[in-house]
Amino acid sequence: MSDAILAALARQEGLMREMQVVANNIANANTTGYKTDRALFAEFIAGGEKGSDGISMGSLAGHSFDLAPGELRVTGGQFDLAIQGEGFFLVQTPAGERLTRAGHFQLSSEGNLIDAAGNNVLDPAGNEIQIPEQITKVAIAADGTISGDGEIFGRLGVVTPEGELQQEGGTMFSAPEGYQPTEGGQLVQGALEQSNVSPILEISRMIEVQRAYEAGQALFDKEDERVSRFIETLRQL
Amino acid sequence: MKSLQIAATGMAAQQLRVDVISNNIANMSTAAYRPRTAEFSDLMYQQYLTPGTITSQVGTVVPAGIQLGTGVKPSTVSMEISQGGLRETGSELDLAIDGTGFFEVALPSGESVYTRDGKLNRSPDGEIVTMDGYPLADGIIIPEDARRISISRDGEVVAYFDNEAVGQPIGTISLVRFVNEKGLEALGDNVFRETEASGPPNRLVPETEGVGALRQGYLEDSSVDVVKEISELIEAQRGYELNSKVISASDEMLAATTRVR
Repeated sequence: MSDAILAALARQEGLMREMQVVANNIANANTTGYKTDRALFAEFIAGGEKGSDGISMGSLAGHSFDLAPGELRVTGGQFDLAIQGEGFFLVQTPAGERLTRAGHFQLSSEGNLIDAAGNNVLDPAGNEIQIPEQITKVAIAADGTISGDGEIFGRLGVVTPEGELQQEGGTMFSAPEGYQPTEGGQLVQGALEQSNVSPILEISRMIEVQRAYEAGQALFDKEDERVSRFIETLRQL
Repeated sequence: MKSLQIAATGMAAQQLRVDVISNNIANMSTAAYRPRTAEFSDLMYQQYLTPGTITSQVGTVVPAGIQLGTGVKPSTVSMEISQGGLRETGSELDLAIDGTGFFEVALPSGESVYTRDGKLNRSPDGEIVTMDGYPLADGIIIPEDARRISISRDGEVVAYFDNEAVGQPIGTISLVRFVNEKGLEALGDNVFRETEASGPPNRLVPETEGVGALRQGYLEDSSVDVVKEISELIEAQRGYELNSKVISASDEMLAATTRVR
């Protein structure tokens, strides 16, 4: 295969994956606490034909998510919580501690604060949060203090990860390098943070990917034509 | 071409949202109905290149890696715990709960179900029953010759008779509380059943330990906010269209592939 085809093929493969990233963003445009994903491309040099300096190719090198805050949707739910500013809620899943910005919580039958999947929500020290049964009106202050009937039951803190986050599905992230409590985020009771996906950006990105892909296919066509014309010419000599 | 399937999960999610919204709007006049909301979460990620993979002998690592998402799934369709407005009906057996709590209804099978719909009636033998004819678990029987009955805020039922100035107490209507009301299983007909998630029922006297008060002559309206539902409906419709655009773009990319010889 010619270098042109190889370089274009690397590009096409990257575009296919980027399309997947864009499709995932759009599919999650209404997912509470979802953070927009971005594909990053990097150049690498592949050894070309003998005597050349190698050819430059692009490939998907990594991704980054946009941690910009999403809009707050007021729900009025007692245990619907949004974080204004930085930080994540800490949740205990069977696979370990996870970080999330999706604050759609409720109480378990034992009175523990749990998330929609039934995982315990933790305070920054890693303890479960228990709310006594007879309390019906629970107030959660901006600093996370949980109270009711003039009594304080605990503190729902927010944490920031150390190092990079890893996406785990279920709008959860894991922090392989650990986390630490932060004072930066303020809690808002009765609201949920919406997905920060911007449909306009995603659709324009999608069109861009689609057109670039089609241009890549056109290049294959042209290259094919060039090679066949070259063979044709050789035959006539 | 995964973007096709991903967009399909997105369309399914928006479809579910429309289903939930349409059920809320259909129940905008159902007594004591509480609107449901669909919540979503992202599906698992394909780890093409895990962050933290070591990239050299000196221990440098991949900072972000490549993780490709695979779509969206519904995480919960949960009930909003909100108080509906109280509508005055003047009927002596219409009861509204002002605050948390449920009436306990005894089914013929012996099982108990729970409801906030306080449209009660008198059965042929004088028992206080729901619209479906099932008695309240408190088993209160109104004497045949009672002129009228009054039900106090804390659930005490008093019957008044002709030629007697003072009424006679004939029972107490209790309320039931659950730790996690969202965990109740909705059975239709405005009734719920306890589940593992809701916790066991806790029978209490109205107006004590955080349960609500009874209001005689009122019914609780549906707490559906139609304006909110309609704006959500518009959002869901646009979301559906966005996802369908992804499908057509992916389709065109596939078509471009097949056009190449």
